[in-house]
Amino acid sequence: MNNTILSITIALIFGIGTFLMLRRDIVKVIIGLSLISHAVNLLIVSTGVFDGEKAPIISNGHHDSSSGIIFTDKLSDGIFAPIVPSGMEVHFVDPLVQALVLTAIVISLATTAFILILAYRIHEEYGTTDIRKLRRLRG
Amino acid sequence: MDSFTAIILAIFLPFAAAIFIPLLEKFLKHRIGWFAAGIAFLSFALIGIVAPEIIHGHIIQHSIEWMPSIGAEFSIYADGLAMMIGFIASGIGVIIISYSNGYMSHKEDLPRYYQYLLLFMGSMIGMVFAGNTLQLFIFWELTSITSFMLIGYWRGKPASIYGATKSLLLTAGGGLFMLAGFILLHTITGSYDIATILQNPAIIENIKAHPFFLITLILILIGAAAKSAQGPFYIWLPNAMEAPTPVSAFLHSATMVKAGIYLVARVHPIFSGTEAWFILVSGIGIFTMLLAGFLAFRQTDIKAILAYSTISQLAYMMTMYGYTSYHEPGLGVAAATFHLLNHATFKACLFLVAGIVAHEAATRDIRKLGGLRKDMPITFIIASIAALAMAGIPPLNGFLSKEMFYETSVEMGHIIGGPFTFLIPAAAVLGGVFTFAYSIKLIDGIFLGEKHHDHLPEHIHEPPYTMLIPAAFLAGLVILFGLVPSIPIHNIIEPTTAGIILEEVHLHVKLWHGLTPAFFMTLITFIAGLGIYTRYDKIAAWQDRFNARYPRISVNYYYDRIVDGAKGSAKGFANFTQPGNVKTYIYAILLLMVILFAIPAFMMATQVFPANLNFDIPLYEALIMTLMVSAAIAAATLHRYLAAVIALSTVGYLVSLVFIYLKAPDLALTQVLVETLSTIIFLLVIAKIPQTFKEKIPKTTLARDIVISSAVAATVLVLLLNATQGIVSPFESLSYYFLENSVPLAGGHNIVNVILVDFRGYDTLGEISVLCLAALGVYNLIHSRGEGE
Repeated sequence: MNNTILSITIALIFGIGTFLMLRRDIVKVIIGLSLISHAVNLLIVSTGVFDGEKAPIISNGHHDSSSGIIFTDKLSDGIFAPIVPSGMEVHFVDPLVQALVLTAIVISLATTAFILILAYRIHEEYGTTDIRKLRRLRG
Repeated sequence: MDSFTAIILAIFLPFAAAIFIPLLEKFLKHRIGWFAAGIAFLSFALIGIVAPEIIHGHIIQHSIEWMPSIGAEFSIYADGLAMMIGFIASGIGVIIISYSNGYMSHKEDLPRYYQYLLLFMGSMIGMVFAGNTLQLFIFWELTSITSFMLIGYWRGKPASIYGATKSLLLTAGGGLFMLAGFILLHTITGSYDIATILQNPAIIENIKAHPFFLITLILILIGAAAKSAQGPFYIWLPNAMEAPTPVSAFLHSATMVKAGIYLVARVHPIFSGTEAWFILVSGIGIFTMLLAGFLAFRQTDIKAILAYSTISQLAYMMTMYGYTSYHEPGLGVAAATFHLLNHATFKACLFLVAGIVAHEAATRDIRKLGGLRKDMPITFIIASIAALAMAGIPPLNGFLSKEMFYETSVEMGHIIGGPFTFLIPAAAVLGGVFTFAYSIKLIDGIFLGEKHHDHLPEHIHEPPYTMLIPAAFLAGLVILFGLVPSIPIHNIIEPTTAGIILEEVHLHVKLWHGLTPAFFMTLITFIAGLGIYTRYDKIAAWQDRFNARYPRISVNYYYDRIVDGAKGSAKGFANFTQPGNVKTYIYAILLLMVILFAIPAFMMATQVFPANLNFDIPLYEALIMTLMVSAAIAAATLHRYLAAVIALSTVGYLVSLVFIYLKAPDLALTQVLVETLSTIIFLLVIAKIPQTFKEKIPKTTLARDIVISSAVAATVLVLLLNATQGIVSPFESLSYYFLENSVPLAGGHNIVNVILVDFRGYDTLGEISVLCLAALGVYNLIHSRGEGE
C-alpha cells in the first residue's frame, strides 16, 4: 500500500506527539501520548505484509452484488456493506495487522483512562500538574 | 534404607523443615527451637546410619541425572572426610540449637533464626557430601549466604550490617574464584565429577603436568582462604562476631569456617606433593597462624579474642595440610584432621561460655570482667577445660593434636633441610606460645582475680540448664578425646585420613611418647607462654600504639577504601543514569529509537527514499490528511485544555476515516466508539483539573525539542516508506493461514473477527483483563484519597 502522503501524515502526527510528550504539563503529555498511539496504529495497519483491494471479509454469498467490490482506493466509490461473493478470486488486504491494531485501540483507551486518573490524583495531592514541581517534591 | 537415601535425607531434611518452621511456630511458640534441634538430631542419626560402612573403608558413591547438557550429575561422594564434617555440622548443630533455646530471648524473631540455622546446616552437609564440583560450589555459596543472613540477624545494628556485608563479599567472592578453578579443572580433565578425578591416578598425573596447574591451584586456594579467613581474608571473621553468640559458635568456629579447610583436604590428592602446594598452603597457614595469634592480644571483647584464635587455629590445620611430601603423603594430614575435630569441640565450647558470660554478666569486655569463679563455678570449670585444651595442656584433646603438629613440623623441617630444619618447628612453637598466652588470658580475665563491682551486676549466677548442658557436653568430649584418643582416632580420623590421602592408615596416638623433640617443644611452649603472659598487657598496648600510628598498615583500611570507592562510583553512575528528570529519560529513549532505526537505514543508502513514491491521491483524501495534521498541530499549540482535547478527538475521528480508506471497517467502527469514550473521559478529567500554569518554553529548549521531534518524525517516515514498498519478507506471513482457514476452521467470514475471537482468542482475553485491571486501578485511585490529607 504505497501511499507517500499517508506516510508523511503519520510521521508528522508522530513528531507532534513527541513534541507534546516533552512538555512539562502532564495533561499535554497525555495528549501527546494519544497522538502517538494514533500514529502507531495507522503505521501498523498501513504496513500490512500484502496489498489487496478487498477488506478481509469473505462473503457468505447471500448478498447480491453485481460488482463484488466493497472498498476501493477511492472513497467516492462509496462505502457498502462488506460483501465479497465466496469462491471469487479476490485479493484481500492483510487481516492480521488489523486484528492486532483492534486490540491496541482498546488497550490504548484503558491506558489513557488510567493515566488521566493518575494526572487527576497528582493534581489532587500536589495541587499542580507541572512535572518539574513534582520532581522537587522528591526526597 | 540404603546409604544414598540416608545421605540425601540428611541433606534435605533441614531444608524441608525450614519451610515449615513459620507454620509450626504458630503452635509451638518459643519451643520451636526444640523442633529444630530434633531435625538436626535426625540428620546426625542419618549420617550415623551410613557411618559404619564408611569406617570400614567403603566410599559411598551414587549419582542421579541433574544437568546432562553440561555433564553435571547430582552425586554423592561420601568418604571419611565428608562423614567427619557431616558429623560435626549436625552434631554441633544439635548442641547449638539446644543452647539457643536458652540464649535467645522469646521476644526475638525466632522462626527466622531457626530457619537460617537449619538452612545453613543443610547446606553444610550438602557441601561435604557433594560428589561433583558444581554441586559443591552451589552448597558452598549457600553456606555463605546463610552465614550472611545470620551475621546480619539483628538487622537494625549498623555493625551487624557491616559485618554481614563484609563476610558475604569476601566468602562468596572467594567462592567465585573457586568456581573458576573448578572450571579450569574441568578443562584439564573434562570432568566435574570428584570421584572420577580422585580415583584416577592417570588424571591426577595429567593435572600435575598441565600448564594450568598453578593457576588452578591458586584459584581454588583463594576460595578456601576466603572461606576459612586465612591470609589477608581474615578480616571478615572478627566482624562476623556481630552474630548471636550461638551462631558464632556454630558457623564461625566449628563448621562454616572449616569449609575452606575441607576444600583443601578434598583437593589434597590432586595438588599435594608438589612444591607449589607446600609453599602456598603452608605459607598462608604459617603467616596467618602467627599474625592472628599475635593480634588476639589486642582484643578486649572475649568474642573477638575467640575470633582471632579461631583464625589462628584454622591456620594450624592449613599449615599441616600443606606439610605433604612425595615420600610421606600422610604427613600432617592426620594431625590436621584430628585438630579440626578437636578444635570444633573446644572452640564451640568456649563460644558457648562467652555466650553464657555475656548473658549473665551483661558484658563481653574482658577489662570489665573478672572474678566470676565464685558466682558461676560450673561455667568456670567448663571454660577452664576448653581453654586449657586450646592451650595444649595434657591430658586434654588439644594437647594431642598439638603434639602431632609439632612432630610433623619437625619431620617437615628435616625433609626440606637447611635453615628450615629449625625455622619450621620454631614457627610452630611460636604459634603455640601465642595460643597458650591468650588461652590463659581468657580464664584469668573472666574468672580469676578480683570482681570489678562497678562494672558488673551484684548477683551473677549460673545460666539455665539449657545453656549449661550443651557446653558441659562439649567439655566432656574434650576430656574423652584426650583420655581415650583411640575412639575418635579409629572411628573418625583414620577413615578421614584414608579419604584424603587415598591410602589405608594406622595411627598411634598416645598421651606419652617419651622424650621426643615434640615433648621438648611443648615444654618450651608452656614456659615461653607463661613468660609472654606476664607481658600480655604491654604487648597489647604496643599493638594499640602501632595501630594508631600507622593506620594504613591494615587490611581493613584497604577493604574499607575499596568498598567505599565502589559505593561512591556506583552512586555516581546511578545519578548519571537516573537523574530523576522525566524529560531526560524520554530524550534517551527517543534518541536511541532514532539511532537504532536511522543508522541502519542510512547505511543502506539506496533504499532510504524509495524511487516509486506515490503522491497520486484524490483531493478529498488529501483533505482528510491535511485536516488531521492541522488538528494535531492545534492540539499541540492550543493552550487551553478543552480546546486541545477537542483538537485531539478531531484527530481521532479522522483516523477512523483513514481506517476506512485502508479497508479496515472493523477498526473504523472501533475507533469511532473508543474515540467517543476517550473524549468523554478526557472531558470529565480536565473539568476537575484547573489549568494552573502556562509553560513558557525557552528558545533553546524549544529548538532542541523541535529538532528531536523532527528527527523522530523523519525516522518514522523512512521506516514507513520502506515498509510499504512491498519488501519481500524472508518468511511466509501468518496472514495467509488466517485467510485460508477462517471459513473452514472457524466458520467465520469476517477474518479480522475470527482472528480476534477464535484463532487469537487468548489475546482478546488478555485485552479484556487489561481493561478490567485499568478499571480497577482507576476506581482505586479515585477512592485512595484521604490518607495523606
